[in-house]
Amino acid sequence: MSSRTGGGFARPGFRLLTTGLMLAAALGAIAVLDQQIEIFGFGDSGPDARSFPRMALWLLAAVLALRLILGLRQADAPLGRPVRLGRVLAVAAATALALWLMPRAGFFVGAAGAGIVVALVLGEKRLPALILPFFIAAIVAYGGRHGLNIPLP
Amino acid sequence: MLVDAFLELLNLWVLVAALVGIVAGIIIGAIPGLGPTMAIALLIPVTFSMEPIPAIILLLGVYQGAIFGGSISAVLLNVPGTPSSAATAIDGFAMARRGEGGRALRFALYASVFGNIFSCLVLMALAEPLARFALDFGPAEMAMLMLFALLVIVLFGGGSRLDALIMVLVGACAGIVGLDPISGTPRFTFGSFAFENGFQLIPVLIGLFAMSEVLLQAFDREPLVGDAEVPPLKSSVVRFVELWRMRVTLLLSSLIGTFVGILPGIGSTVPAFMSYNLARSRSADAAQFGKGAPEGVAAPEAANNAVTGGALVPTLALGIPGDAVTAVILGAFMLHGLAPGPFLFRDHGLEVYAIFEALLLSSIPTVILGLLFFRVAIHVTRIQPRHLLPAITILAIFGAFSVNNSLFDVWVMLGAGVLGFLFRRAGFPLPPLLIGLILGAPFEQSLRQALLTSGGGYGIFVGSPITIGLVALIGLSLAISLTLSLRKPRT
Repeated sequence: MSSRTGGGFARPGFRLLTTGLMLAAALGAIAVLDQQIEIFGFGDSGPDARSFPRMALWLLAAVLALRLILGLRQADAPLGRPVRLGRVLAVAAATALALWLMPRAGFFVGAAGAGIVVALVLGEKRLPALILPFFIAAIVAYGGRHGLNIPLP
Repeated sequence: MLVDAFLELLNLWVLVAALVGIVAGIIIGAIPGLGPTMAIALLIPVTFSMEPIPAIILLLGVYQGAIFGGSISAVLLNVPGTPSSAATAIDGFAMARRGEGGRALRFALYASVFGNIFSCLVLMALAEPLARFALDFGPAEMAMLMLFALLVIVLFGGGSRLDALIMVLVGACAGIVGLDPISGTPRFTFGSFAFENGFQLIPVLIGLFAMSEVLLQAFDREPLVGDAEVPPLKSSVVRFVELWRMRVTLLLSSLIGTFVGILPGIGSTVPAFMSYNLARSRSADAAQFGKGAPEGVAAPEAANNAVTGGALVPTLALGIPGDAVTAVILGAFMLHGLAPGPFLFRDHGLEVYAIFEALLLSSIPTVILGLLFFRVAIHVTRIQPRHLLPAITILAIFGAFSVNNSLFDVWVMLGAGVLGFLFRRAGFPLPPLLIGLILGAPFEQSLRQALLTSGGGYGIFVGSPITIGLVALIGLSLAISLTLSLRKPRT
């Protein structure tokens, strides 16, 4: 991962993508910092509620920019075929959908649905194995509600 | 105190918790990809309705069992269940190929127990005096101590220092979200009440270690273990005299594991390899290392188990976690009302000593259950991700929800899972992020309290012998790191 490429720039991969996203987030946070942190002055000397976040975010942006520059000439973890990222997106989207559904349909339906999608995405085709998340969700929901007294949705 | 603490252990639930924890740990640890960190993070919600002592003993039992479980797949399949078992695999797998897998696992088990006992004794000797000393710390001392801890993670955590610094800062920046620790002003809450509590540790942990694993497996879609044949396990014994011959190796490895464990953020992989290399350099038969030397199995196992006790010293005495696993254990202590830090021993000394004694005594069931279960655990290594990961997804959703009975925490868990996937694919280390998240907010609070006390003067950070000592340690760490960098041969 850290080995250098021949002469030109490295092919963009996960490292460049992640660093770029983090840099954008850090710069975005710096841009809205004054808006997001209100200061009520009581005449105290020393740092206020904005000082540490400002320092930490600028430092983060600086080291990320440095990582981005250094990373341009280093071999990167390849993004791979779109289908592989598609599987990751499918799992994340199924879990997000399950969470969105939970207040309406309940924990059991959401969790079982997410589990079945994960099994399908991971290549499970046999019906008994696809039903397994259904039973696990039922056990977790029952145990959580009645054993641990957790008010699951 | 020690007797009272022991009496607290004379409870059926404590025994049940220890046994269940160790068995679950051995089985989970044997599955490659499922480390102790994920196992403990997912099991924390199960302990909500338990008393603090059995709850923490269950989780520490999982940790102990998982470290040994990690060596099962390392020895028999050359697939380390945990990264720290990679050193064990070198000689363990070589022994297994010549039909001595059972012996290799027995050496691993006894060495693990030796390392655990040694580090527990160090923990019992050091933690309370350190906590008592830290009672004298003011905000300036705490700020410098946390700065030192964060610096150690960046400089000596292994891998790229720039990446470790990025992760520490990401963690510290994530810790900013919520109410300002001094003035109570909302920060980066975007007008949402849910954000005012900030990101809770347990949902973030579950996301970073469990959900990200699900996403990584969805990306790779490869079996955790290939179709490699498990070498036959013949009946074997390890005699006491064989262990006695390697007593110096066991002692030195345990020392390395314990004291590296005390340093924040280094984890158990580095001491495992350090001990392996030291054992090889000291051995009269160094050529045998890599070809199936029992000492090559015992040294890394003693070291990586000794890390537990060592890492718990700063975690419990100062509230500074030594590695990712102790960060999770710190979260569990907090959830059970045992806030780690200088006041822990003063306010909950009985519970803490009961936990220490249980950790020490659990070596006995670890040996018995380890010998009983390693043949069963071999079959567990064959579990395919598509059977296991749907259950982990369900448990991750449940675990994140149950911390505060809030769906917001489950969204946080999912977000942390996606970020964890990106970080792990990109090669960024997760432990510095976690420690940055835990220490970021208290570091800011101590820093600002110190500056408020001094009226904005920075002299307060060199105003007492303790802060001067810590500044000297910071300077020394920077100097050592720089020297090591300059000496490292460039490729």
